[in-house]
Amino acid sequence: MTARVGYPVVFVARETYRSVLDLLFSDQLDAAWICGYPYTLYRSRLNLISTPLYRGRPVYQAYLINNGRPESPIRGWVDLKGRVLAYADPLSNSGWLVAQSQLRSAGLGARDLRRGFFARGHRNVAEAVASGLAHAGCIDGYVWETMRRQGMAAAHQTGVIWRSPWYGFPPLVSRLGASDGLIARLTEALLGMHRDDQGQALLDALNLSGFAAPNPALYESIAAMARAVQPASV
Amino acid sequence: MLRRLPYRIQIPLGLALAVALSAFLVSVVTAHLTAARVHADIMSTVERVVAMLGEQGRPLLAQDDTWQAYTLLRSAATLLPAHHLGASRAALLDAHGRYLAGSEPKIQPTGEQALGTLSHGRLLPTPSDVTQPRTVTAQDGSLSWLQPVRSDDDEVLGFVLAEVDALAFAPNWWTLSRPALIGMALSLAVLVPIGWRLGRRMTQPIAQIARCIAAIGGDDPRAVRPRLPRVSDPELQRITGAVDRLLLELQARQAAAQRALAVERLAAVGRITAAVAHEINNPLAGLITVTQTLRLHSEDPTQRGRCIDLLERGLQQIRTMTTALLPQARVEERCLNEQDFDDVLTLATPQAEQHQVELSSTRELNARLCAPATVLRQVMLNLLLNAIKAAGPNGRVSACLSADTSKLCFFCCNTGQHLSNQALASRATSTAGDDPQGFGLWICHEIAVRFNGQFYSVSPDELSPPFVTGLFFSIPNQRRHDPQAPVTD
Repeated sequence: MTARVGYPVVFVARETYRSVLDLLFSDQLDAAWICGYPYTLYRSRLNLISTPLYRGRPVYQAYLINNGRPESPIRGWVDLKGRVLAYADPLSNSGWLVAQSQLRSAGLGARDLRRGFFARGHRNVAEAVASGLAHAGCIDGYVWETMRRQGMAAAHQTGVIWRSPWYGFPPLVSRLGASDGLIARLTEALLGMHRDDQGQALLDALNLSGFAAPNPALYESIAAMARAVQPASV
Repeated sequence: MLRRLPYRIQIPLGLALAVALSAFLVSVVTAHLTAARVHADIMSTVERVVAMLGEQGRPLLAQDDTWQAYTLLRSAATLLPAHHLGASRAALLDAHGRYLAGSEPKIQPTGEQALGTLSHGRLLPTPSDVTQPRTVTAQDGSLSWLQPVRSDDDEVLGFVLAEVDALAFAPNWWTLSRPALIGMALSLAVLVPIGWRLGRRMTQPIAQIARCIAAIGGDDPRAVRPRLPRVSDPELQRITGAVDRLLLELQARQAAAQRALAVERLAAVGRITAAVAHEINNPLAGLITVTQTLRLHSEDPTQRGRCIDLLERGLQQIRTMTTALLPQARVEERCLNEQDFDDVLTLATPQAEQHQVELSSTRELNARLCAPATVLRQVMLNLLLNAIKAAGPNGRVSACLSADTSKLCFFCCNTGQHLSNQALASRATSTAGDDPQGFGLWICHEIAVRFNGQFYSVSPDELSPPFVTGLFFSIPNQRRHDPQAPVTD
């Protein structure tokens, strides 16, 4: 990436989207890969760089997973009453927002659960469900499929019991006011990544098929859902 | 059973048993000492883990952070004893005593009530009862530690719960006995080969001596003696010396026996020669008398014919006797008849007249005679001549030939000195060769044995006076003599 962009590129990982956004808004990051939900929340302060293509499309699904056993009593959202539910992140679309929407649709409130907790990441959601810490978990479908592809035990010890409609894939964004030249070179590098072997190898490692040009309309459904769940937030 | 094993097995086996017994005793003592120490160590370890969880779990309880609490418990539980066996676990409980998270979520379900319930056989106290750190012990020895977690303003945020099952307190015999077993294995690896070598070295000379003793009677002592081991041990030297002396004595005895056998063979040859001479000499004396008679009465045809017949039969007897002494020879034998008895009396008469002995005879023949004539003629002549000699001057000799369907008997008695049955047996079986009178009796005895007959001296009480000695000879009647039958010595 450094060669493609012409600028030293350093990857920084954080447990929560809040931490990533804090770094971005404090000008410690130039660009970030965040969920569609925080993008819709902070759309006025963010610039959409690109949307990854998963299986050739810029969309993904949210999953509800259980322990994967046929005898599990959790077969859907309604069954979560009196159960423990693991969320990924309070700023995650698939890991929180979708769940809130579905719980509401199922007629369940926060008090109807025995407990709900944030596992600080999609991978941890799978581990929480696999270990029995939670009866079910809300997880990014792309992350769960990639975990299974990489042979992670937590993914193999869980099973998908519900899939959401398609939502805009978590985008790469930059802070408004960031260097236009840098962002342009970064966008160009991302969009052309699939054209060379090195870039393709990186895409394969990420279980992605490429990057698409920015399209804010992809995230309208998330914004609509956010407005429905938390009218004051968006 | 152990005593029946050879030393080369007994010694290493004994060493192995001694080492194993020592290892067992050491393990038992160590186990008792270690069990007490392990219990104290477990208590101390759990207390430290509970204290650590109380400190680090405080913010997590305050934030109700189940995931972080789980990651903390998952790490901390590995410090608990026997955690890898599933015998210990830890949990953070909220202020109501429900699981915020547990290190084993499947048996510590998130959000479920823990305090005031039965957990693994232990009834946990209610939240209000846990104001200070406390333990709950079950009957099986398992323990639960409970410690309240308080905020800075002394509000109860929750509790730390640590549970250790009885399995964790049980002595780990493998761990306890492993050093002793390793030591025992090393000791055995060294001691067994050494014991084997020592046992074999110790028993090798004994086994060699035993083999030499076993060879006595089978092998030549001269060949056995060099096989005796050369030993330096005083006890073994005594044994070896004793066996060596035994072999020397045996060697000397065998040499003496061989010499005696050679002498015996020479004596046997002498006896046979003497017997042949004796058997031939007896009829010869009668034949000489017949020739004198023939010379005096040759003109009488009847007397001449009778003398010639007598000469022919006498010579035929000599011929038969000499031939019969050759074991390979097959002799055509005829049955005894009354004429043979007359011939014997005729042959013995000159001897009787010479010794001035009165010779009388009787016969009781109640069945057809069928016994080897030559042999019986020899027996009768021998017994008559012996009786004549025994009777002495003016003595009397009586001969009786009797027969029935089962046996043929010849009884000869005289008035000479009594010959007991024991004395007869002694003479008849004498091998010394120093009793010329015994040759004839020996021949009679041998013939009786050979033809399954009897030959003995009759008791004086059974004899009619004046007779004091009576020799009785019998062989089965009506039975063809088999000249090829073996002669029993």
